[in-house]
Amino acid sequence: MIRFFVYGIPVLLVALLVASFVTVASFSTDRKNELTIGSIGEPTKLNPIQSAESGASEVEGFVFEALLQYDANLEITTQLAKSFTLSQTTTVFFQDPAAAAAALQLVEAARPSWSAWSLQAARTDGQRLLLDLTLPGMEASAKIFSLFDPKTALPLATLRVETEKARATLEDFQKANPDIAIERSWFDYDAAFEITVAGEGTSVEERLKKFLTGTGNAQATAAVSETRNFLAEPLVHFVLRDDVRWHDGAPFTSRDVAFTYRAIMDETVASPRKPDFDLIQKIETPNPYEALVTYRKPYSPALNSWMMPLIPAHILEDKPASWWADNFNRNPIGTGPFKFSRWKTNESLRLVRNDDYYQGPPWLEGIVFRYLPDPISIRLAFMTRQTDFWGVSPWAVSSLLNDSRFQIFRYPANSYEYVGWNLRNPLFQDVRVRTAFAHAVNGPQMIEFILYGNGVQSNGIFPPHFWFSNPEIKPIPYDPAAAARLLDEAGWKPGPDGIRVKDGKRMAFTLIVNQANEVRKDIATLVQDNLRSLGVEVNVEIYEWAVFISRFINKLEFEATVLGWSTGPDFDVYQVWHSSQSNPEQLNFVGYKNPRVDTLIEQIRQEYNPATIKAMAGEIQKLIFEDQPYLFLFVPNSTSVIWKDSFRICRPDGKGGFMDTPVEVTKAGWTYYMQWFYRPEFAGKLPPKREVRP
Amino acid sequence: MITFIVRRLLISLVLVFFISLISFFIITLTPGSPYPWGELNPKISESVKANFRKQFHLDEPIWKQYWFNMRGLFTGELRSIKDGRPVLERITERLPATLALNVCAIVIALSFGLLVGVYSARVAGQWQDTALSTVSFALLAIPEFWVAYLLIIGLTEWFAVPLMGTVSHGIVFPNALASSLDWIWHLALPATLLALGSVAAQSRYVRASMLETLREDYIRTARAKGLPSEKVLYHHALRNSLRPVITGIGGLLPALIGGAVIIETIFAYPGIGRLGYQAVLERDYPTLVALNFITAVLVLLGNLLADILYSLVDPRVRLE
Amino acid sequence: MNPPAQTPLARVVSRFRRNRIGLISLAAIIVLFVVAAVFAVLSFAHVPFPMDPNATNLERKLLPPNLTNWLGTDNLGRDLFSRMLHGSYISLTVGFVAVAVSLLIGVVVGAISGYFGRWVDNIIMRAVDAIMCFPTFFLILTAVALLGPSMLNIIVVIGLVSWTGTARLVRAEFLTLRETEYVRAARALGQRTPAIIFRHILPNAFAPIFVTAVLGIPAAILTEAGLSFLGFGVQPPQATWGNIISDGKTYLLDAWWLIVFPGLAIFLAALAFYLAGDALRQAAETRSERK
Repeated sequence: MIRFFVYGIPVLLVALLVASFVTVASFSTDRKNELTIGSIGEPTKLNPIQSAESGASEVEGFVFEALLQYDANLEITTQLAKSFTLSQTTTVFFQDPAAAAAALQLVEAARPSWSAWSLQAARTDGQRLLLDLTLPGMEASAKIFSLFDPKTALPLATLRVETEKARATLEDFQKANPDIAIERSWFDYDAAFEITVAGEGTSVEERLKKFLTGTGNAQATAAVSETRNFLAEPLVHFVLRDDVRWHDGAPFTSRDVAFTYRAIMDETVASPRKPDFDLIQKIETPNPYEALVTYRKPYSPALNSWMMPLIPAHILEDKPASWWADNFNRNPIGTGPFKFSRWKTNESLRLVRNDDYYQGPPWLEGIVFRYLPDPISIRLAFMTRQTDFWGVSPWAVSSLLNDSRFQIFRYPANSYEYVGWNLRNPLFQDVRVRTAFAHAVNGPQMIEFILYGNGVQSNGIFPPHFWFSNPEIKPIPYDPAAAARLLDEAGWKPGPDGIRVKDGKRMAFTLIVNQANEVRKDIATLVQDNLRSLGVEVNVEIYEWAVFISRFINKLEFEATVLGWSTGPDFDVYQVWHSSQSNPEQLNFVGYKNPRVDTLIEQIRQEYNPATIKAMAGEIQKLIFEDQPYLFLFVPNSTSVIWKDSFRICRPDGKGGFMDTPVEVTKAGWTYYMQWFYRPEFAGKLPPKREVRP
Repeated sequence: MITFIVRRLLISLVLVFFISLISFFIITLTPGSPYPWGELNPKISESVKANFRKQFHLDEPIWKQYWFNMRGLFTGELRSIKDGRPVLERITERLPATLALNVCAIVIALSFGLLVGVYSARVAGQWQDTALSTVSFALLAIPEFWVAYLLIIGLTEWFAVPLMGTVSHGIVFPNALASSLDWIWHLALPATLLALGSVAAQSRYVRASMLETLREDYIRTARAKGLPSEKVLYHHALRNSLRPVITGIGGLLPALIGGAVIIETIFAYPGIGRLGYQAVLERDYPTLVALNFITAVLVLLGNLLADILYSLVDPRVRLE
Repeated sequence: MNPPAQTPLARVVSRFRRNRIGLISLAAIIVLFVVAAVFAVLSFAHVPFPMDPNATNLERKLLPPNLTNWLGTDNLGRDLFSRMLHGSYISLTVGFVAVAVSLLIGVVVGAISGYFGRWVDNIIMRAVDAIMCFPTFFLILTAVALLGPSMLNIIVVIGLVSWTGTARLVRAEFLTLRETEYVRAARALGQRTPAIIFRHILPNAFAPIFVTAVLGIPAAILTEAGLSFLGFGVQPPQATWGNIISDGKTYLLDAWWLIVFPGLAIFLAALAFYLAGDALRQAAETRSERK
């Protein structure tokens, strides 16, 4: 008996191991008409308005759809919307109805200029003069406003009140002060509200303050946040597709658009997307296939935010946040070409073909994501064809380049890496010093050896492939002699130990990097090495992300840091470069301040004309580049690889027919044509081809 | 016996309270705070951050946070900061895989530990004994990720056998037997690696305690009486030295759970170790609190059970 | 009055001498020590011997072992051999100091518990149970991740977590030794408690404690390596065996030398300590002989 335990069980175990090995090894993989992706980043919640990480958007991109999308060339086009039009209503307030009528006559008299202003109609409503413009923006409205006698016009004051229970507070305030005419109101969760009143607003501010202290709300604050000459309120009019159904069969309507907006603004949903929608005054849905979005002020990047996928109202409305987390977020329902099927946590996630897709069912039967937490496993799984796709790191691409079995995709990423100098530190306040550092760091070599050539040198805050990027800015060349000269000029002379000194202070600083990012660690080591030969002592310190952010970056307690920005093609850089954003917890953590840049940043957000946007963005980029608050390093390539014989694309050629091509990569990434991917061995078994309605 | 159990349970209750208290404060007072939005995201505004802190009570005083966490843990309403799901659900969905892995590892550790230990005891002092002990220590001294990589690279590159996760992807097995063998295959290698160190340690225990027993008077008497040495070895010596081995299982558990982080990562195995590791990186306080609490309870119960078991196996020990 | 201390020690030494594996391991440990000490000095004095461990040379990146770079180069062209030599003292320091910390705590706690017995013992042993409740590696990982992976933190955390075994051992020794004649005699003669503990009991418990300590060193070294693998070891640019592996594992399939050589170093060092410790244990094992 005991002897059996001692010898029998080990023998049994070994036998079992051998049997299982033989079994597994004897079966070969059945290739299905599916695509398998090996990925490190597992989503946390499959809800596009609650998740912000790349792992989730990778999956959501196939399940959900938005009103608008980028086309293959990264230009905005429609998806669930059939069309969209922009317009604007500008409202000017006058002392009394008579003044408004007089102003209307001035506008009527200037009728020849109407088309230049894109003005379509003008009318009065009591003391208000309303102007309908076909193009949103501030410029035309300002010109019209200059026709009027400023003494007869009333300014508009916006007051912001931070208080608990904002909705109830405003209601009570209105009841207590029925004489105050509130033109517009808006709530920032239930934690603050903004109201707009005609006039300077100072008296309203005082009454608000008195009201708040009177109700014992001691922590609340009230202040005039903005005074304007007129209200310029852009309007986006979406006409929706009428042939779209959610995966459960319910029709997609404008109710879903309005609901998605409401959900984003709801505090229990805690959507990270909310700031994109903060400038919306209201959304109206006159019928199921029309949605009218009114903005509180011109904000040209707003259109981009409608590329955010929509969620189904008929499922989520009136459900608590916990229901979302327990049900929908792990069993999502969208309108996209693939339906969610199954998610085994920490293992895999499966999507299947949506047979009712309005553009016809996709060719592939499904997409499988396999979550492998170790980069080596991902690579092994790909090399043994357990997965079809590998988001390969730039350095590993070089070993696959000459291998005919693979097809490699390389396209510029929407990101750039930099070294940020804390400009509050006296060491970095001289622009000559910062420029010298830029001369001293060997950028081309860094790209050659860290990225294996998969990238270009960065020439400022906008990657060169963005349409508004300024092509005239040239990266600062590697020139150690010029660097040394600049430091000499700035008064930093080599000291006894080879390190430069000025006024008894050694040129030494600490460069912090976040852990788990190999590229940034390598950058830090190279910067340290390059600057050492210039006579600068760099001490590299590496911290885990959570610590890196909360202890150093958010508290602005660092000297220099290696970081990267990854953004869509967005010309609004308010959060990162406006001087008002340089407090703790904000993103202008280097403390950059340039009044001209501030003005431009404020103006460009209100500008809708592409040519003007390009000019202004170019100037912002140039000014910031000249100031060198960052050492701009490079824009890397996104690199990925698939097995060449795995897939082909058969997609509409735009002329009513289909074209069959190898897998091709677009500016918008390699998954852009995913619904038209198929495996060649299944070519005969694909769903019937349908005519695609544009 | 019953008074013993009641007393131990009470002591354990107090202990669990202190453990939860200490671990909560260590977790929350250290630098770093949850940042659930991936990389630095320029679009996240201050009001979004403030609302997030409010939703998860992160703006409350720490003792209140502790209260919320503990209350949530017992009502089952404690939710992860990361995905908003109840932490208990996140833990239990990984429990089957973790248990399978650990039970498998314990079985391997005990059976092979016994085998090697018994053999070493039989050949004590000879060259085989020296060789086995050297090999045992070599197993203890190998960094586990090293062997793991060696195995995974070797097997996938040379044999192209799927190794990651709990099942082979893309293979349709014809019957339940084949698919359960597939499951065993995915369990076997990580479990073996987990067990390597314990095999070495267990075999040393068994060997030592067997040699000790063999020197006892009654064994000598048995031998002198002319009982065949095989029978003496297995019947008397081994049976006596089995007791500490069996009761030592309780001590193996925490070591295995903790050691699993690296193995689970390399083999893409969906276990609790990875969950905990992720929670640490993301500062997912509720998940960490719950994990700590549950492990503590499990291990205290395990200890208690081991003590009771010990008293049942060995009548000389009396619980008081 | 004094316990017979000399004779057992001499016997242990002479028995250890007869153990070939033990001697070889001991020799390996001594070599390791000398190397670590020499390069610790070189490292602090910034002497680039055999090469500067931190000097990058991108033209010579990821070279396999060759005549200039005996063990090859890493992804930034740094010489692996130099990095391993200059990093050797880190592993040893972590191992030794962590064990010293754990010994200190373990001996004090175990001694108090074992000497006083009764409720003191009860409380302390329950606390030990509590600490043993946690999966050790995970506890260390959590603490190091949260506190920040500096060498000091790693040492302290490993030490703080691993003293329970020593404490139990010391307590057990004390419980036995407390009842021996010479301790009773000392107590009868009116010696004070600390004196009894330090003069009479500890020296007799020395052998098993020493063995646990020696066996604790490789465990600490391996723990640091595991932490490094997950990115929570001693952080670069300071080269250590652990972080060479953690940086090199990205290149595992293309540059095997980055993970094989430092891994081998960790393995051999740990093995040497284990074997030496085991040899020591055998040599110090007296009870079996008495029977």
